[in-house]
Order: sequence, then structure tokens, then C-alpha cells
Amino acid sequence: MTSERKFIVPIGPQHPALKEPGHFEFTVDGEIVTDASVRLGYVHRGIEKGAEERSYIQDLYLFERICGICSHVHATAFALGVERLAGVEAPLRAQAIRSLVAEMERIHSHMLWLGVAAHEGGFDTLFMYSWRDREIVMDLLEAFTGNRVNYSVNLLGGVKCDVNESLRDQILRGMDQLEKRIQHYLNVVTTDRTFLARTEGVGRMTREQADLFGAVGPTARASGVPRDVRVDAPYAYYSTVPVRLITDERGDLLARFVVRINELFEAIRVIREILDHLPEGELTARMPRRIPAGETISRVEAPRGELFYFVKSNGGEKPERVKVRTPSLCNWGSVMQVAVGHKLADMPMILAGIDPCFSCNDRMVQLKRKDSQQWMSWEDLRQYGIEYYKKVL
Amino acid sequence: MRKRLGTMVSDVLRSVFKKPATQLYPFERKPAPVAFRGKLIWEPEKCAGCMLCVKDCPANAIELIVLDKVNKRFVMRYHADRCIYCAQCVVSCRFKCLDLSDEEWELASTGKEPFTVYYGKEEDIAFLLEKMARDNAGENASCEE
Repeated sequence: MTSERKFIVPIGPQHPALKEPGHFEFTVDGEIVTDASVRLGYVHRGIEKGAEERSYIQDLYLFERICGICSHVHATAFALGVERLAGVEAPLRAQAIRSLVAEMERIHSHMLWLGVAAHEGGFDTLFMYSWRDREIVMDLLEAFTGNRVNYSVNLLGGVKCDVNESLRDQILRGMDQLEKRIQHYLNVVTTDRTFLARTEGVGRMTREQADLFGAVGPTARASGVPRDVRVDAPYAYYSTVPVRLITDERGDLLARFVVRINELFEAIRVIREILDHLPEGELTARMPRRIPAGETISRVEAPRGELFYFVKSNGGEKPERVKVRTPSLCNWGSVMQVAVGHKLADMPMILAGIDPCFSCNDRMVQLKRKDSQQWMSWEDLRQYGIEYYKKVL
Repeated sequence: MRKRLGTMVSDVLRSVFKKPATQLYPFERKPAPVAFRGKLIWEPEKCAGCMLCVKDCPANAIELIVLDKVNKRFVMRYHADRCIYCAQCVVSCRFKCLDLSDEEWELASTGKEPFTVYYGKEEDIAFLLEKMARDNAGENASCEE
């Protein structure tokens, strides 16, 4: 007997596959997903508005806290934007250290993802061991910057931390150790029969789809889209030490594993090259407290893809407006399309495949009235609030 | 590539004969790296009272109370629970009187009091605490009927 009614499986908002809040609704026919939708916004913290109340220096640390995993790239993007507005360029050594920490952060982020994705696939041994080895780079970051997360390396106009000889040796030793382990993990994900059954051919996204839905980062590169800000518009030290673009044509979950693990090798190569050719000189350039009026954008490649910052200054000590667009947000459209036609049991893996970061997503919401096509302005919202409470009271 | 089964069995078997990767904290303590950012330390002798640290602190964790600007009598009230250990104050300070300790970092506590730390000369701190007690006396006085 067939029924006309749709069967919808809600997942979340508490703990939807990952330990962050998001709500998904999968319409299923049997166990095959026929439609998928996502609702975000559970962790909106008003960071952009908060930034308008704080000085540029304080904002640097506020933006670092948008994401605990890729905190350094957020601060770098903001610092690059403000430095451009002020007409200041950070010294070469500072730029090299920014790139160095960014690559170390990429290693820790990709290894964290490898563990989470393996866990979603039911391969907890890989999860435990990859996280054990991730401690190597976490310890190095702690020895380098003094913090395990939210490293606070950046300053406006430079960096705080410097590399000395013993730290350099320590990092190089750690990289040698990690390289061996990462090679092992690459072998595991490409040869393990049980795990391949969960990844090969699952969640395939073609290059056209990736382009159409505006996918970014490793998710796009796993579908063969050659898109990487470090290559397309080099910033910090990436023009001196170029990064090799890593792509894969297959577009399935396996390709996303292979691309991210190969990016780890590339990150290790870049770290070695930066450490071998670390320029001498100052760590900071002089930075004015009042930033000249103007607006600018800055783009950096976060571990999850392109991170975009817009900074507008009115000539004071506080920014007038800062807009952040994070990579996870760009990838939701693609994952919701890709989900259709797969089994419900594959959903956690497909969701985890884009390396989603929920706290990254929650930037701003635009609203429309039911009967109107117009976006509501700030004034409209205020009026709506007043009318709403009049009715309630 | 040839597909195999149990690709991580060798890791597991090898781990049986290894020491645990985790530490038995607090019985085993690994020393913190030199660059570690722990509790904020303030040296009152060098401070000129420019207030840049207070202005730049993103977490409002530092208060500098001026008792006598001419004779440089300052007391610093440091809120370790608000501090985000970013070291911006250390960089902002032009007189190098601030530093984040790599020795004092076990700051967890069951109460709120240990998180408010006073730095300065002993007599200045005593003076400030006494003044605060006097000012608050009205609030805490018992109500007589």
C-alpha cells in the first residue's frame, strides 16, 4: 500500500552528527533521501555587531573567536584588511610567520576532520589514532604561540611570536614524524575495504555542480575545481613560497579524503620551505590607532575554503562595519543537493564530508514578510517588534 | 590499488606494548613551554600608568587603580577569569612591566575570589582594600530594627 504523505526525518538541532547545533530535515522514501533542507542560526553571537563597539585591536581577538579551529586565519584576514586600509605592510618575517602558523593550523584542522569523518563512518580506530597524532602539531603550536587554541599570533601590523633555532628544529622533527603517520592514513583510507564501502562513490558532486552551487575549499577541489586563494591571489608569504594546487576529479567522499590528506603533505612541504628561507628582520610595523576612512576586502584560504572579510572604516578607532563570509556557509548548498538519492545512513558521512563548522555559519539573517518580496530593513524590524508587542500586551 | 581488510590492526597491536599516550595528570606534570601564556604578572616599579593595557585588553580583564599619579602609586586589579591570555597587554606595554607566566597556569578554582588578583606595593593594596571595605560598609551593614 502506498501513501501520498511524505515522511520527514528531522535530525538536530542537538548533536546532528557533529557536536554543534544545526537542524536538518530529510524527506525519505524508504531509506532513500528524496529531499533535504538545512536550518542554521542556533549559535548566532552577534560578533559583527559587537565589533562595531570595540577598537580595531580588540576586534582582532573577537574575530579570532568566530571559530576555535581556524582562529588564526580569521585574525589574519582581518589584520590584512585593516593594514590595507591604513596603508601599512607587515614586515616579511611577520608575513612568513603568519603563513607558517596558518599551515600548522591547516594540519591540525584537517587531522581533526579526518578523525571526525572516520568516526561518522564508524571507523573509530582511525579517529583515535589520527587524533593522537594531531597532538604533535597541537604541542608545536603551544610551544610556538603559548596557546593550544586561539593562538593570538597576529597583531595589527605584524605578529607577536618569533621562531628561534630550537623551536625550528622541534617543528621540523614534528613534521618528519607527522609525514610518516599521514602517509599511513592515506594508505588506510584508500585501501581499507570496509571504509571504502562507505566513501567510494558516495556523495558524488560533479565539477558543474560544484561550480553551480559555489562550493569552496577542499570540497570544490575534490570535484576538480581549481580554486584556492593561496594560488589565485597569494597573500602573506604565499607569493614567495607558492602552494601547489591539489585537486581530484572523482568528486566523491573518497576524493575529499584524498584531497585533504594530500593537502597535509603540501602543508608540511610549505612549513619546511618557510623555515628554510625565513627572512630576517622586524616582527611588527608601526600601526596608527585611527584607521583612515575607506573600505576594503580581504580573502584568505581557511582550512575549509575561502574566507572573506569586508572592513569599512570611518576614520576612527572603531570599525564602522565588518562583514565576514565563512567557507562552511558556501558549501551547504552543494551538500543539500548531493544528499538526494543517497541512503539516510550515509547522511552523517556526507554532512561531515564538507568539514562543516556551525559556529562559522551564523553571521546574519535577512527576513522577508510573508506577503512581500522586499527584505526587511533595520527600521522595518523595529516597527515589527513594536507592533508585535502591542498585540501581545 | 588492492583493497585490504583490517588496515589498522597493526597499529592497535603495537599499542598494546606501548605506554599510554595520555598523562596521569595531576600525578604527572609536563612542564609548560617557555612561550606558554599563563597568569598575568605585573611589575609595579616600571609602570608609568599610561593605561594602554587597560584600553587594549579585549576582555576588560585589567583595571589600573591610581592612588597617587605623581608618586606613581598604582594598584592593578587583574581578573584571571575574564582574561583570554592573548598577550595584547604585554605587547602594548611600552615599559615592559607585564608578562604572562609559564609557571603559574593551574588557575582553576571552585570559588570566585582567587580570580581577582591584586598587584602592587603591599601598603597600597592594604590601603585600597581598606578603602573599599569602608565604602561598602553601608551596603553590608546589618539592619537594626
